[in-house]
Amino acid sequence: MPKVYNWQIGREMEYPYDGARPQKQFAMIFDINKCIACQTCTVACKTTWTAGRGQEAMFWNNVETKPYGYYPLGWDVNILSKLGVQDMSSPIYKGKTLFEAAPEGERVLGYLPEDLDYAHPNIGEDDSTGLMAQGAFLQLPHMQWMFYLARICNHCTYAACLGACPRQSIYKRPEDGIVLLDQGRCRGYRECVKGCPYKKVYFNPFTRVSEKCIGCYPAVENGRQTQCTITCIGKIRLQGFIKTPDKAREDSPLDYIIHVAKIALPLYPQLGLEPNTYYIPPVHVPPQYLRQMFGWGVEQAIARYRQAKEDKKLLGALLLFGATSEIIHYYKLEGNYSIGYDESGVELARVPLREPIMLRPVYDDRHQTYRSNIT
Amino acid sequence: MNTSIKTLLFLAGAAMAMALSALALSAETTLNAVRIRYMGPILDANLPEWKKARPVAVPMLPQMVATPRHLNPVVRELKVRAAHNGHWVGVLIEWKDPTQNDRIVLDQFGDMVAVEFPIGAGKDALPNPMMGNPGGRVNILQWRAAFQHDIDAGEPQLRDLYPNAMVDLYPDQVLRATDARPYTGALGVDNPVSRPTASPVLDQMAEGFGTMTVKPDQRADGRGVWEKGVWRVVITAPMATGNPNSPHFIPGDKTVVAFAVWDGGNREVGSRKAWSAWVPLALAR
Repeated sequence: MPKVYNWQIGREMEYPYDGARPQKQFAMIFDINKCIACQTCTVACKTTWTAGRGQEAMFWNNVETKPYGYYPLGWDVNILSKLGVQDMSSPIYKGKTLFEAAPEGERVLGYLPEDLDYAHPNIGEDDSTGLMAQGAFLQLPHMQWMFYLARICNHCTYAACLGACPRQSIYKRPEDGIVLLDQGRCRGYRECVKGCPYKKVYFNPFTRVSEKCIGCYPAVENGRQTQCTITCIGKIRLQGFIKTPDKAREDSPLDYIIHVAKIALPLYPQLGLEPNTYYIPPVHVPPQYLRQMFGWGVEQAIARYRQAKEDKKLLGALLLFGATSEIIHYYKLEGNYSIGYDESGVELARVPLREPIMLRPVYDDRHQTYRSNIT
Repeated sequence: MNTSIKTLLFLAGAAMAMALSALALSAETTLNAVRIRYMGPILDANLPEWKKARPVAVPMLPQMVATPRHLNPVVRELKVRAAHNGHWVGVLIEWKDPTQNDRIVLDQFGDMVAVEFPIGAGKDALPNPMMGNPGGRVNILQWRAAFQHDIDAGEPQLRDLYPNAMVDLYPDQVLRATDARPYTGALGVDNPVSRPTASPVLDQMAEGFGTMTVKPDQRADGRGVWEKGVWRVVITAPMATGNPNSPHFIPGDKTVVAFAVWDGGNREVGSRKAWSAWVPLALAR
């Protein structure tokens, strides 16, 4: 197998094809701390792309509760269990990736879920870890924990679905790195469904071929962020493009958050796919759980995120989440404002770093009543 | 796929092909296509004329050259007969399969069988029996149990696949056909594996792993019946089509034929299959 460089695990690794990075790489950042699992993103995606026959149980975007929610059932624990315990003790990953752990006769270590695993997309919703002891009362931080994990296709640099397909029906677009599945070429072998550890390729039993998230490419081609991003009411997402760490641009909000501040981390980087969605980890969850999920640097990411209000550059990048429907390529700080620009330098959004405080009198003379909220 | 892997696969495939061809020829298992009077496509597995055709037992081996592989395919032998009527050639294939797999959902695969002929090759320069090779084209006629089910019992609707499913409405119920088309996925781009056209057999060609292509003109036909744990499938094709990408059969000619079979119940699909070496095929005058 050819060798490719995966910066997320800090080393070269095996992959069925030679490495060829796209001119631009589609990427998304999710701030887990802000997600309330309202599923607006899920519904936006569903009504935009997967309302057809055979797509009834198909959610290209889903939000699941961790640690006990999964869609499809047990996707993460199943593949972690198959991969086995691996050495993640340093920034350079010493364990095996899914390509390196592929059994004889296979291209990637994977598993095909049962059809019924997709039957309960909201299983485990809001379930917390552990039990409440007798006499428990509300404390901060909470005694038990859970968090919401919003997921789309990661449009991986080294996509396992693409590597697993024996007839090259899946391709990565050179212009934006979006991974697409050719609906005319696929023959429904389900090798991609089996190979993708994130289980973000779905089988359509009506058309008898597989389908996946298309990164809203018609929107992205026109400079707009994806449906799941622009409909997010919690403004937890930012979609744009990411560069490799050696070419990171400090004036790109994604590059700054991921490469410079290093507060957003990939999902299960140890699997070796170099996924291109990044998560700002939840601050209240035990680090050992997060380390397994997001790899090296979780504690540092949380510490820096907690200090974001002291770091104007970071704060400015974070405030651009949900500030515009267009894709922000560059940003800069000007006084109290963070300003986002499109690829050609046109201003898209202007967000104050600190909202001005407006105080209203407690008593409203006009309506002759007292106000309960005066800010 | 990078060039070195392709070359390696080709060399491995070619070496195995030569070994298998020699094996087949030395076994003297020539499949004789008898001449029958029945006119038109040969579709009926119960034609009395099949009794004139001597069955040949074709050993089936696991596909072990290309990844991914299934190390233990179920079907190890096909019983094959051949016949022609001067216009159509037909092959009757029988094999034991205790389960009839013709429902396709994520974790259920369909039974299939395929007949392969070389295209335009002399006997001295046969293509690789394993789906051909660059420059060595093959014609692959693949019968699918799911297509047979679609034709016999109708195309499955949601409730056929999931009896308790509930759906409010689909785009094609409220939008014009052109507007609803983007929601139809592979069906909207006429993917030939989504639905059968008029026959349960796909007429295809290939010249190596991963190159299988369904031909724009579909002339082949077939019919499969599962009864008491046995599939009996007839695959038939015109002997001359004028298409340079189809084999041209002439009565009295000698050529070769190969087979592949998939047991859906054993999750055999794509390259996870059992296949045969070239078997000599002689067409009666």
